[in-house]
Amino acid sequence: MRKFLVIFLIVFLILSTALIKNSTKRTDDEIFTIKENIRVLKNDFENIKLEYEFLSSTEKLLEFQNLYFDDELVKKDINEIKIIDQNTKKLQINNLILGNEK
Amino acid sequence: MKNRNSKIILEDHQDAFLYKKSKSNLDLSFNRVSFIFFIFFIIFFIYSIHLIHLGSRKSKNEINENMNNPMNNLYRADILDRNGKFLSKTISSVDIGISTQKVIDKKKLIINLKYIFPNKDYKKIESYLINRKFFYLEKMISDENYEKIMKLGDKSIQPEEKLTRIYPEKNLFSHIIGQIDNDNNGISGLEKSLDNELKNLQEPIKLTVDKDIQFLIRNELLKFNRIFKTKGSAAILMDVNNGDILSLVSLPDFDPNKRETISDINLINRATKGVYEFGSVFKTFTLAAAFDEKIIEPQTEYNDLPKSLTCAGFPIREYDDKIPSDLTAEQILIRSGNIGSVRIGQQIGEEKFRLFLSKIGILEKINFDIEEVGKPIKFNWGKCPLATVSFGHGITTTLLQLAKAYAIIVNGGHQINPTIIKKSQKEKKEKILDQEVSEKILPILRKIVNSKEGTASLANVNGYEIGGKTGTAQKSTTGGYSKKKINSFISVFPTSSPKFVLAVMLDEPNTNQDYVYHYRDGSNIKYKGTPYNTAGWTTVETTGQIVEKIGPILATKYSEIN
Repeated sequence: MRKFLVIFLIVFLILSTALIKNSTKRTDDEIFTIKENIRVLKNDFENIKLEYEFLSSTEKLLEFQNLYFDDELVKKDINEIKIIDQNTKKLQINNLILGNEK
Repeated sequence: MKNRNSKIILEDHQDAFLYKKSKSNLDLSFNRVSFIFFIFFIIFFIYSIHLIHLGSRKSKNEINENMNNPMNNLYRADILDRNGKFLSKTISSVDIGISTQKVIDKKKLIINLKYIFPNKDYKKIESYLINRKFFYLEKMISDENYEKIMKLGDKSIQPEEKLTRIYPEKNLFSHIIGQIDNDNNGISGLEKSLDNELKNLQEPIKLTVDKDIQFLIRNELLKFNRIFKTKGSAAILMDVNNGDILSLVSLPDFDPNKRETISDINLINRATKGVYEFGSVFKTFTLAAAFDEKIIEPQTEYNDLPKSLTCAGFPIREYDDKIPSDLTAEQILIRSGNIGSVRIGQQIGEEKFRLFLSKIGILEKINFDIEEVGKPIKFNWGKCPLATVSFGHGITTTLLQLAKAYAIIVNGGHQINPTIIKKSQKEKKEKILDQEVSEKILPILRKIVNSKEGTASLANVNGYEIGGKTGTAQKSTTGGYSKKKINSFISVFPTSSPKFVLAVMLDEPNTNQDYVYHYRDGSNIKYKGTPYNTAGWTTVETTGQIVEKIGPILATKYSEIN
């Protein structure tokens, strides 16, 4: 009887291991599919980003400026850039300066 | 009677029968157990095999046949700038080849190809169809044309998927990134120095450079190369506090996408490889060494300085006769006095000055992220070399080392190592110079730009507090000096709290009689034509124009707003 129980237990364990492994295999496949999808999407994203970077590069912007935005797209002088200071109760607009020369 | 002798033997076969029956029963029960055992054994055997199969099965992830994988021989990791923009990328592309033996109707194929690729040389293609077994029709075909050509359904058309390394910025980072050969081996720049990492890393490598700033600096250099008809030029923009290089440009440059063999010596990396005598920019080091040794103060007076000195039979003169004979240490640097610098150098002494230059990284070859690094030419120290080195002659170094040395002098005396690879961990700052050196030098560098006596007033761009030192040096030839010049300007800004050092160098500039200078002293005076071929009229103007372009980006992106 004891032998029978041992054999039964071994067989049961083998069966349950096989079943678990089988379900793991399915999960593995799902993970693989998802990973592959992510990879494809990542590739697409990188290619689109590359295209976006090319179209929005400084070189292209300067080219577009000459073609379409002669008066609108102009270089900003540092004196025209202001900082809004919200630390005080009143909103303060300060000049953007790199140093603090007196 | 015979019958009487006969015996009657009665055999009881009941037991035998019972025995047989019993035996038969026993057999039957044994067979059942063995049968069940056999069934279980079969199940056990089947599942064991299945288990072994499942256990030994390789995950599909491991045998990923993806081309963009380090397992692929042509794979290389991407290179990004500090803002995550692609500087170099490995993409999969499709080349279209034609297997001529499989062509059924050549005329029909050519008509179809003409419709898809109208600009190709079809005389050549026709000859290939006759003379070759296989040829490539189109490399790196576009998605649109790939779809069109595959719709032809011709068996002779053979698509081949390949990995290709592209440099979307073309020439912009050529000297930094370098290039690879057809076997995917790096042959220059980061492609060479990081060859193994690029082949094995899954993640991209991030650099410290900024694409937009690099573009703007290169644009200005190209412009002034045309204006001053230079042989070449270079510029380095570096963070003085950590050595991060935001831009490193050397002109002329090349397009790494073309994969041409670079044999022209003029394509040398002038920022890191080119070793030059830079002249007066060294006077800052002379003064800084004297401050570090606490020998002099900015207001220390030097009276009755002669107009010329003789050393080993060679005269040392002032570049400008108007320089007064009585000057303070500060004025010597502002007015770029040669004789005064010699006097300060002599006060420091040969050993201490050599040690100072070595400490700030001028004398030895610098450790850098790319292999194209120049080695300063060794020379024998002595009384005369000390005198000439004090005003920047007879000593050579690279523009990168100059930028590093200026950064150390103005950042409070902390050691920095210039780098173009973004590091996640901050390095500990080692203090190698006295804090007072920066405090004393910075106001003097500022005066060189914003005072009338200074040599760099054309770089006084409003809002950036630029300080710096000019250097005009004649190029050395065998046995003497030529009339060709190296004009340089090493600027630091903002001088009240230094953040950046911008080193600009023009190789063999010439004067331009048509260029119009706009004075930056508030007078709105315009001046036509370059009066002198000195750094003050060439490199300083270039630096001013560069800072005007990149300044707003630096102020908004890279400065901490209080």
